[in-house]
Amino acid sequence: MTRKQRHNLRLGLLFISPWIVGFLIFGAYPIVMAVYYSFCDYDVLRDAVWVGPLNYQDMVTDDVFWKSLYNTLFYTVVSVPLSLTLALMIAVLLNRPILGRSLFRTFFYIPAIVPLVAVSMIWIWVFEGESGLLNYGLSLIGIEGPQWLNDASWTKPTLILSSVWQTGGAMVLFLAGLQDVPRSLYESADLDGAGPVEQLRHITIPMISPVLYFNLVMGIILSIQEFVKPYIMMPNGGEDRSALLFAVYIYQNAFQYNNMGYACAMAVVLFAMILLLTWLATKAMAGHVYYGGD
Amino acid sequence: MMIVGWFLAAFGRQGFWLLPACLCLAIVACSHQPQQQTEDGRIVVEYWEHWTGFEGEAMQAVVDDFNASQNRIYVKKLTVSQMDQKVILATAGGNPPDVVGLWSYNVSTYAEKGALTPLNKYLEAEGITEADYIPALWDLCEHRGFMWALPSTPATIALHWNRRLFKEAGLDPDEPPTSIEELDAMAERLTIVEIKRDGVKQRVRYTDLTQSGRDSKDFDIVQLGFSPNEPGWWKQMWGYWFGGDLWDGQRTITADSKENIDAMTWHGSYSQKYGVDNVKKFSASFGAHFASPQNPFLDERVAMVIQGVWMYNFIEKYSPQLDWAAAPFPSIDPQTLPDVTIIDCDILAIPAGAKHPDEAFEFISYVNSQGPMEKLCLGHRKFSPLTTVSDGFIEQHPNPYIKVFIDLAHSPNARTTPQMSIWQEYNEELSVAADRVFGAIMPADQAMRYVEERVQWKFDRALRRWDLTKDERIKHWTEQ
Amino acid sequence: MQRPGIQFTRMVLLLIGSAVFMIPLLWMVSTAIKPIDQTMTMPPKWLPTKAVTTIDNQSVEVGVGKIPDDAGADTEVSITAAYQYIVGQSPVRMVEEAGSDQVVVEVNYHLEATIDGKDYPIRRVKNFSLEPAAGETEVAVINPDGSMRRRLVKEDAIRKIPDDSAEAVSQSYSFTVQEVYPADEVAKRYVPWNDRQKYAHVMTENRIATLGSLDESTDIQWSNFSEAVHEMKHFWVYLGNTLALCLLTVIGTAMSSAIVAYGFSRIDWPGRDKVFLFVLGTMMIPLPVVMVPLYSLFRELGWIGTLRPLWVPAFFASAFNVFLLRQFFRTIPSELSEAARIDGCSELRIFLQVIVPLAKPSITVVALFQFLYTWNDFLGPLIYLTDEKDYTLALALQAFQSQQGGTQWHYLMAASTLVVAPIIFLFFLTQRTFIEGVSMSGLKG
Repeated sequence: MTRKQRHNLRLGLLFISPWIVGFLIFGAYPIVMAVYYSFCDYDVLRDAVWVGPLNYQDMVTDDVFWKSLYNTLFYTVVSVPLSLTLALMIAVLLNRPILGRSLFRTFFYIPAIVPLVAVSMIWIWVFEGESGLLNYGLSLIGIEGPQWLNDASWTKPTLILSSVWQTGGAMVLFLAGLQDVPRSLYESADLDGAGPVEQLRHITIPMISPVLYFNLVMGIILSIQEFVKPYIMMPNGGEDRSALLFAVYIYQNAFQYNNMGYACAMAVVLFAMILLLTWLATKAMAGHVYYGGD
Repeated sequence: MMIVGWFLAAFGRQGFWLLPACLCLAIVACSHQPQQQTEDGRIVVEYWEHWTGFEGEAMQAVVDDFNASQNRIYVKKLTVSQMDQKVILATAGGNPPDVVGLWSYNVSTYAEKGALTPLNKYLEAEGITEADYIPALWDLCEHRGFMWALPSTPATIALHWNRRLFKEAGLDPDEPPTSIEELDAMAERLTIVEIKRDGVKQRVRYTDLTQSGRDSKDFDIVQLGFSPNEPGWWKQMWGYWFGGDLWDGQRTITADSKENIDAMTWHGSYSQKYGVDNVKKFSASFGAHFASPQNPFLDERVAMVIQGVWMYNFIEKYSPQLDWAAAPFPSIDPQTLPDVTIIDCDILAIPAGAKHPDEAFEFISYVNSQGPMEKLCLGHRKFSPLTTVSDGFIEQHPNPYIKVFIDLAHSPNARTTPQMSIWQEYNEELSVAADRVFGAIMPADQAMRYVEERVQWKFDRALRRWDLTKDERIKHWTEQ
Repeated sequence: MQRPGIQFTRMVLLLIGSAVFMIPLLWMVSTAIKPIDQTMTMPPKWLPTKAVTTIDNQSVEVGVGKIPDDAGADTEVSITAAYQYIVGQSPVRMVEEAGSDQVVVEVNYHLEATIDGKDYPIRRVKNFSLEPAAGETEVAVINPDGSMRRRLVKEDAIRKIPDDSAEAVSQSYSFTVQEVYPADEVAKRYVPWNDRQKYAHVMTENRIATLGSLDESTDIQWSNFSEAVHEMKHFWVYLGNTLALCLLTVIGTAMSSAIVAYGFSRIDWPGRDKVFLFVLGTMMIPLPVVMVPLYSLFRELGWIGTLRPLWVPAFFASAFNVFLLRQFFRTIPSELSEAARIDGCSELRIFLQVIVPLAKPSITVVALFQFLYTWNDFLGPLIYLTDEKDYTLALALQAFQSQQGGTQWHYLMAASTLVVAPIIFLFFLTQRTFIEGVSMSGLKG
C-alpha cells in the first residue's frame, strides 16, 4: 500500500465512521444477540437462561409458526408480482405524452405516501362487510361482497389489495426507467409494425430490467416483514389466523406473551428467509438484467 | 459528545448555529420526565387505567375524592390503551406507573413474570383480609400463595331476555329457559327468517319452516333467538355451563374433556342450524357496535343474550323502552349445576419497581373502603366486591335485577378464568377454536384436541421456567 | 404521434385508474365531515346533509327516518326532533310536574372562582389542610390539565355556574341539584339534530312530516376535526413529539449520511466498493429481526419510555440514504475536488464547501424521505413508547382507534385526515424534488 493509499484509507474510514459505529451498535450487536437469545428462555423481566436449540425444536412443532410462514409467503408471492405488474402498466400508460400527465402521476403516487396507520383505518372502513363503500360498489354491479375482514378466505386478499393500492413508488421508478429508454427503439419498432404487446416484451422489459430487479428485491424485503397493516386491521390474525403474518407473530411472542427467546428464533428464520429470497430473485434475474451503459 | 464532535467537524463555523437549535430540540424531546411532585408539594402517584367512557369517569370521581380527602398524595389518573402490553413494557423498561388498573386475568401472568409487587405486607398492616370480600374475588387476586392486587369493580354474567319478543312468539315472558335444551328450543321459536316463496319475500318463524326449508338454509335471518357467538365474549368458557374445567389447577390442561367438547359442539350447532353464511351476514349487520343503538339486543334483533351486570346501563342509554329481564344463564343440567356464571373483576395493583408503592397502596386501600367502593361500583353499574354493603345499596341500585347478579357472585358455581400464567394464550387458542367451530372450518372435538395439545405444550414451557426459578422468586417475594 | 384510438383508450384507462386510487382517500375525507348518523347510510352519500322543517313556527333541523323508494313530495316520513328544556338559558332535566303550575327539574352546576385574575372550576373539599380565615374557605382548584391544587378563596368569590353542554355535565365536579320552577318559566328549545350529542339533557320526539316540507341542504361538519383533536386528548403534544422527532431524525440522517456518502464516493480508498456492497446488504436487516435485542439494549440504557430510541440511531447514517447521496455525489466531476485539493483544502473543507452546496437537492431528498419515514413510523413507537404523553401521531391514531372500538367513524376519519394531510401537503410543495428523488433511488442499482 502506498502512502497515498494509506492516507486515503484512514481518511475514508474516518468519514464512514458514523456508519461503522451505528452499524456495530444498532445492526451487528442486535443480530448477534438475536442469535444468542434464540437459544435462550428470555422474557426481559428475568435474565436469559440458555436452553440450547429448544426454541427451534418448538418452532418445528408449532402450527401457528407454519401458518404465519405460509400466510407471509402467500402474501409476498401474490402481492409483489401483482403490484409490480400494475405499477408497470400504469408507467407504460404514462410514459408517452398525454394531457394531464403529471396530475395522473400524482394521483397514482399519493397512496404510496399515506401513513400505514391511516391506510389501515381507511381499509377497515372501506372494506367493512355491511356498510363499507367497496361492498356497496360491488352491489351496484350485482355482486354480493364478502365479509372482507371477517372471513378466513378473504383476509389475505384484503391485505394484498391494500399493498397493490400503495404501488406508486414502484410506478415512479418504472416511469423513470422508461424515460431513459431511447425513443428511437420504439420508433423503429413502430416502423417494423410491432404492436404494443411485442414492444413491451422485446423493448420495454429488457430495457428496464435493472429497475424491475430493484423493485422486486425491495418489494420482497418489505412485504415479508409487513407488520403495520395486519397488526392494526386484524390484531389477532383474523378468523382462523388467516392473516397472521410472520412479523406480527414475532411481535406477539416478544411483547404480548413475552417469549422473547422464541421471538428471536423466529427473527433469525425471518432474516434467513429474506436472504434466501433475495438470493433467489438475484439468481432468477441474473442474465436478464440489462445495464445500459456498463 | 460524539455527536457534538461530528457536528462541529461536519459543519464547521457556518453550521455552528445549528448546534444550539439541535440541542434545544433534543432537550425538548428528552425533557418529559414523570412529574414527581405537584406545585403544592404533594407526591404524585401515577395511575394507569384501562377504562374509558362512563366507567372511566366513575373512577375519576373517586380519584378526585381521594385527592380532595387528604393533602399529601396526588393521584394522577391516565387512561392508557392496550394496557396489558404497555404495563409489561413499562415495567420491563424500569419506568412503571405506581398503580395500574388491570383485569383480574392479568394477575397470574404478571405476578409470575415478576411485574407486580406482592401486597401481603400492606394487607397485614391495614388488616384487610379475605373475609372482607366475595370469596371468588379474593382468589382472583392470588397467585402462588401471594396477594398481588385488590379487586375494584366486579361483574357476573347472566341471561338477558327480551320480554316483548317472548310474548310475540307465544312464550311466557316470565319463564326464561332453565336448561340448554330449553334454551335451544326457545331460540328456534324466537328466530324469524325471510324466505322467498313464489318470488315473494316472506317472514316466517324458524319453527314454522318445513324440514326441507330448514335444511336448504336458503333464507335470511331477520331476528335471532340466541347465538352463542353473540357477543362472543365468553365463547371460550362455555364448558363451565356443561360442567367442564379448563385445567386441573396444577399442571394439566383439560380442554379436550368431554364437557368442553360438548360445549364447543353446542357452540357450533347454532351456525350449523341456521347456516354459517346466514349467521355471519346477520352478525355483520351490527358489527362491532356494542355501545350503540345498533346493538342487536338493544334494537331487538336478538331475543336472548348472555351479558354482564353493566348491560342495564346500555339498555337505559340506548334503548330505554326495551322490556327485558335477567336470570342465571341455563346450564346443561339445572338440577346438578344451578346458577353457573363467570365472575371476574377489575383490579388495582402496584407494578414491580414503582416509585411510590406506599402511597400507591394508600390509594388502593382508599378505593377499597366501603364508601368510595360503592360509589365506584354504582358508577360502573356493578355491585360491590365487599361483603359488607351499606343499607339500601341493593334497593338504590339502578339495575332492577342487581340481586340476580349478586346472588350469582355468591353461587358455588361462580367460576373464574383459570389462574394460570399463560391464560392469555390459552384464551386466544380457545377463541380461535370457537371461531373455527362456528365457521364450520373444523369439528369441535378436533378443534379442542388441537387446543389441548398446543396449550399443554405452552404450559409445560412456562412451568419449566417456573420450576427453574421458583425458589429464588418466592424468597424474593417473601422479603419484599 | 400515436393513433387517436390508442390515445383515447389510454386516457380512459388512466381516468378510471386514478379514480380507483383516489376514492379511498376521498371517502376518508367525506366521512370526516359527516355527522355520525350519516356515516353508515346506504346508499352512501359523499356530502353530509341536514333536513330543516318547521315545527311550532320555528325552523328546526331534524333527523329523517327511512324514505321509501317511490316517495314523492306528499309522502309522509317520520322525523325526529331533538330538544331540551331550559330555564333562562340553562338546560334542565324534567323530573316531574309537581303541580299544575310548578315543575321539578334537575340542573347541573359547577363552582368557579377567580384566582389571580383567571377563572378556574373548583370543588369544595371536606377536610381542610390549610387554615382559612373568616369569610374564606379551602377549595380544590381544577387546572386545565385536570390536576387539582388546594387554595384558600373568599366565600363570596365562589360562583355557581350552570353547565350547559353534554361534556360539562359529565365532568366529575359537576353536581346535580333539584329545583322547582313555575311551569311557565320552563321553555322547550330545539337543538340542531346533527349536533344533538353536544347539548346537555337532550330528549327526542318523533313526528310525521311530508317529504315536501323538508328542506334538505349540505351541512359539512367542520367541527369534527376539532372534536377529533379533542377526543384524542393530547393531539398537540403528539404533533409536537412527531415534529420534534422528524426534525431530529432529518438533521441527524442528512448530516451523517452525507458524511458517510462522501467517504464512499469522493475518497478512493482500498476496499471501498466491497465495503459499500456490505452497506447495501445491511438494508436487508428489517426491524422485526432486531427488535427484541434492540429493546433490551435500550432498556439497559434506560431509554424505554423516552423518545431517544427513535432519534438517536438516525445520527449514525442509514444505508439507504448513504446509497442515495452516493449516487449523486458520484455525478459531481472529480475535477472540482482535485482543484480544491491542489489549493490545499482539507477533505472536510472540500466536503463542506464544494460538495454539500452542490448536493443540496439530493440532501433535500434524503431529508424528505426521512421526514416521511419518521412521520409514518409505527412499529418503533409501538415498542419503545409507554407514556401517552410521548406518543407520536401514528401511534396515537392507532390507540384512538383501539379505544373507540370502531364506533365513531367520523372522528376516526377526521383524525386520519389530520395525520395524512400534512404529508400530502408536503408532497405537493416538493413534488418535483420528491419524484426526482424516488426516481434516483432505483437507478443504476
